[in-house]
Order: sequence, then structure tokens, then C-alpha cells
Amino acid sequence: MSDVVEKPVVAISVKDVTKKFKVYYDKGTSLKERALFWKRNRHEDRTVLNGISLEIPQGQAVGLIGHNGCGKSTLLKLITRILYPDSGSVEVKGRVSSLLELGAGFHPDLSGRENIYTNASIFGLSKEEIDRRLNDIIEFSELGDFIDNPVRTYSSGMYMRLAFSVAINVDADVLLVDEILAVGDTNFQTKCFSKMQEIKASGTTIVIVSHSLSQIEQICDRSIWIHGGVIKGDGAPVDVHNNYMEFMLKQRQNNVSLAQMTEEVMRLMKDKENTTNALKSGMTEEQRDSVQAGNDLRWGSKEIEITKVTVTDGSGKESKFIDVGDAIHFKVDYKVNTPMRDIVFGIGIYRKDGLNIYGTNTMLEGYDRYYVSEDGSYEIDMPEYCLIPGRYIVGFSIEYGQGIPVDYWKTAVEIETFSKIADVGTVRLKHTWVMPENAQIDEADDEDSGSEV
Amino acid sequence: MRHTIKEIYKYREMIFSLVRKDLRGRYKGSVLGFLWTFINPLLQLLVYNMVFSMILRNNIEKFYLYLFVALIPWMFFSASLTGGAVSVISQKDLIKKIYFPREVIPISYVTSCFVNMLLSFIVVIIVVVASGVTPTILGLLCLPIIMVVEYLLAMGIAMIVSALTVYLRDLEHILGIISMAWMYATPICYSADMCPEKYRFLFNLNPMTAIVGAYRAVLYEGGVPDLSTLLVSVALGIVFLFVGFVVFGKLQKNFAEEL
Repeated sequence: MSDVVEKPVVAISVKDVTKKFKVYYDKGTSLKERALFWKRNRHEDRTVLNGISLEIPQGQAVGLIGHNGCGKSTLLKLITRILYPDSGSVEVKGRVSSLLELGAGFHPDLSGRENIYTNASIFGLSKEEIDRRLNDIIEFSELGDFIDNPVRTYSSGMYMRLAFSVAINVDADVLLVDEILAVGDTNFQTKCFSKMQEIKASGTTIVIVSHSLSQIEQICDRSIWIHGGVIKGDGAPVDVHNNYMEFMLKQRQNNVSLAQMTEEVMRLMKDKENTTNALKSGMTEEQRDSVQAGNDLRWGSKEIEITKVTVTDGSGKESKFIDVGDAIHFKVDYKVNTPMRDIVFGIGIYRKDGLNIYGTNTMLEGYDRYYVSEDGSYEIDMPEYCLIPGRYIVGFSIEYGQGIPVDYWKTAVEIETFSKIADVGTVRLKHTWVMPENAQIDEADDEDSGSEV
Repeated sequence: MRHTIKEIYKYREMIFSLVRKDLRGRYKGSVLGFLWTFINPLLQLLVYNMVFSMILRNNIEKFYLYLFVALIPWMFFSASLTGGAVSVISQKDLIKKIYFPREVIPISYVTSCFVNMLLSFIVVIIVVVASGVTPTILGLLCLPIIMVVEYLLAMGIAMIVSALTVYLRDLEHILGIISMAWMYATPICYSADMCPEKYRFLFNLNPMTAIVGAYRAVLYEGGVPDLSTLLVSVALGIVFLFVGFVVFGKLQKNFAEEL
């Protein structure tokens, strides 16, 4: 890293690279087909990369982002030399290790130890080099004595751990990673992650393709956004990612390749822990802190915006103090900036400490999806609001499709419930008591028995 | 070219490990296991010998030996040709996912066949000694050279066919027939002078003719191979290997897309 300041040595240089794939209408690979149906061999060229140029200095960690099929994986494959460009050049200095395929060449009948040799040899290591790394690899994999058992007896987690350990211990000058940090359990993932940091600190050039923007933000110094075969953004991850997110959301509006975008945005949202699941699974620690600090939690693409939430009690009076068991009624007003189809309305109720008490939406309950083109409101009526005395946060959501937030306002209103009964738990379940018939009321403690309603 | 060779050298451990895996896996699960390396050629010898000494009789002395010393090298060559053709296709998962010099695959396939032939030669030497032929020292010294020449030739051809088969899958089946025809075009079951004079020129173009002749000179006649034919084979071996490298290098660029 230190010599980067002086004069950056270019580790990866991609110059004006164009890559086309042939898409055959009806491909014949056999001689007969080629000879008889040579006319049929028509194909279409699909340009995946269109004149991309970039330079990555030694020691830099770069993330490649973009929607599915934008060409980022193709670029990675060009850098590893699995593919070759149609025009332009790709130059890479030093040993390249690619975590594109873990466990390449593993043989199920050989032991873990033997497979380390096979697998590492595919990365171009000599026997002596593998000998030197063997202990590190075994230790990192946490396989212990299992290392001498045949690989076929391994669980899938053990298998991946071994494979990852080999790949990451190759000591490459350039490390290429394609969506791999989802290996093993949480502990192992954390370990992989810190290993990546370590590798980066040792001056290895890293290129990561990932849909997880937060992973890239944590590891990379730079993010390159590829769109339609060209570079659309290049710079500090946070800046590029903001533009990217914004773009993806806008893109969706235009209904361009809808299914693909939906999937993509879903992933993005999940990554930011802002999916519809948040409704069902409570708040993250971060959100909880933020709620406790009185901050507002709200996000979405804002084609439709919630403008006002009105809460009324059983008597029809506007109030945010509800007697436990009384009726409650929510009215959510919204305004429409852009008409949208496929709209789902939702509600979520949280305790002040972040516990999700209840969450639902119209999709979950099987209501039709709505086309919303004008300002309006939706209402939720609860005949018995039975949360035990305390303070609660109620959030409302307007979502699109399979849970893409349009306006997701998690902290819309705060409601306090009260009761003269100090029962415990979260919800007062509806109940009645039947007292023993053969027991007498103890007159002496009459006041206390009053709490049993 | 220089760069490629340097890189293949760097990946030598991969070649060793693929060869090891192949040899170990070859007879896996069979009762006799590795013994098949020795039994298989012996049984083949038995069949050919029965056919040619009982039915298609000829007047070649010690025909079983005459046949055996040619058959083992031929089996290596033919395996390299037919098996080598599918070697790249069978490793397509590796090729699509990871970088390594692609040459490693045909090289390690042919090498594993070669090692197998070397092991079979233990049986060959035993049969030679048992038959009463005593090879000369000079002849035995030539033997490794002949083997290496055949190895280079087989490698060059395996490289060409393995790369072509990726683009033209039919080749795999065509090569079965070619291999059979090639066997009968090579004096393995008969002697070279049984070939009619007017085709002799064409006949000698076959590089395997010279190689089989050289093996026989050492192990059957107990002499030394003809120096001029041996030199021609060396040259041919190098030419084939060179062509193989060039063709493979050109074709390998689109492997990942074609597979």
C-alpha cells in the first residue's frame, strides 16, 4: 500500500475491452448438423462489455457492482483469463487467485489433506509451496482431525470451509472474488471477512463482485458500477452506491425488465436490512438504538408518500392514549407523486425496545393489489387493542410488488396504552376466570382481591 | 509459446496431481485394482495371439512376442488419441470456473496413459526375457528415447484432437474408427514388408510405423533401431508437438464459451 503514494504500480490494466457472446438461434455442434444446416447457424452477437477501460493500482480493493447481466462477472472472467476479449487487452501482473469456484478438482474419495494438494495445485502452487502453507490451511479450515477423513464424509459446511481455506491461503498478488462470503456459519464468515481485511492490508490487489453493497463498502476503497457493458460510476463506494441505489429505484419506475429489477432491488433492500421482513422480524440493533434516540426511520422510493396518520380510540375521538382492550382505528393519508401498480399496504407494531409485536399487510392477507393513481387513504380498524400498558411505535408501509418499499415509515406514530390492571407480558389475551365454588371470599383481604377482574 | 511453456512448468504440480488422481481412480472399486494394469495387456495379447496363430495363421516366428512389443505401445497411443479427445470436455467444470493453462489437461491425460504404459512394460520385459530374446545394452538405452518420441507424438495429437472436439463433438466418435483404421495401417498384427510395394511410401508416412519398428528392433530382434528412421520419428514427434501447441493455443481461447 505504501508505494501507492509514490507511484502507483498498475496491477490490472483493462484497455478498451469489448466482449461479445454469440447467441445461436439453433446451434448445431455435431458435424452432421453443421454440414446439413449450415444456413441454420445464424446467431446474434450480444455485446456484454462495450469498450471498457480501467486501471487498478496494486494494493487497491475494488468492488464491481451492477444488476444481473450487466457484465461484471464477464469482466472478472476476462481478468482471470477464463474468457478472452474480442478486442482490447487485459493485463494482470503477478499470481492471480480466483475465488470464483471453490473446491475445484476436489475428489470425494481422497482425504481433506490430499485434496488440499490437488486444489492448491490448480492455483499453480508447487509442492513445496503447498507444504509450507498446509498447516495454515488446516488451521483456518477448523477441520481438526477430520482433515484425514475422505471429503465425501464432510458436511457441506466443512467442504466449503476447506475449499475457502485453500483459496484464501494461496498468497496471490491479485485476488478475484465472486460472491463467496456466504460460506459457513456466522463465525466462519466473520473469520473470512477479517482474513480478507488482512489480505488487503498485506498489499494484495482485490477485485470483488458482489450484490452486497455493504460488504463492498467494508472491504473496498473503490467501487466500479457497470451498466450495459460500460462503466457508469467509478469512485468511493459510498458515493457510487448511492447513485446506484437511486438509479435502480428509478429504473423500476420505468418498468424496464421488471422481473429482473424486482429481484435486484429486493436484494439491495435485504442487504440494507430494509426488506419487508423488517415488518415481521422486529428491528435491528441499529434501528432500535435509533428509535430509542427518537430518530425517524423511513425509507422508500417515494412515488407515493404517507402524509398523515390519524389515530382514534373507541369513542371516535382522536387520541394516542388507548385504554387496553378499547378499539383503535388508524387512518393513513397518502399523496401520489407517480401513479403505481401492484401496491400493498401494511402496518407494523413495535414495543419501544424494538420487539415486533405484530405486522401484516394486504398481500399477506390475500387482498387484491391496487393501482394507485390519486391521493387517498387506507384505514385499519382493531376492535380490541389489547397490548398491555406501555409505549408502542406503529409503522405503516406502502410497498410495491414483492415488498419493494415505496414509503416505509417504521416510526409513524407512538401510542401509549394504559390500564388500571398491572398485568405482565406483551398482549392481554382475552380471558375469564372461574373461581373455586367451595371457597369463601376472604373478607380480611378484600381490597387485594379487587385486582382480579 | 515460451510464456506458455513457462506457465505450464509453474503448474507442474497440477499435472502431477491430475495424473496421480487418474491412476488411482482408474481401477477404483474393482477387486483386482491396480493389477488390471498388468492383466489387461496380457489378456489382449491372448486374444490377438489366438486369432493370429490359430485362425489367421502367418509364418512369423514367436508371433506372440512380435505382437506384444508393438501392441503395448500402440495401446498407449490409441488411448491418447481417443481418450485425449474428450479430456478437455470432461474437465469442463474446471475450465469454466477457474484459470490455469489449459494445456495442462491433455498433457496430464497423456502422461497418465504414458505412466500406465511404463508399468505395462514390466510385463513386456518379463515376456521378452521369458521368450529367450536378449536385448542389447545399446538397444535398451535406445528404448527410453523411443518412448519419449512416442510420448511427444501422442501429446501433440492429443492436443489437436482435444481442442477440436470441443468445437466438434462428433470427432469423439469418428476417432474410434480412425483409431481402428490407424491400427491396421500400422504393422502391429503383421510385418511391414507385407505391405504392397506401391503403397510403401504412404505406409511409411505413418509416424507410428517407425516407432513400432523401433520397439521391435530392440525387444524382438534384440538389436538397435535404424538410426535414420529413429531420427525421422524424433523430428516428427517434435513437429506434431509444436503443431499441437499452436493449434491448442489458438482454439483454447473460446473453450469457456463453447463448453
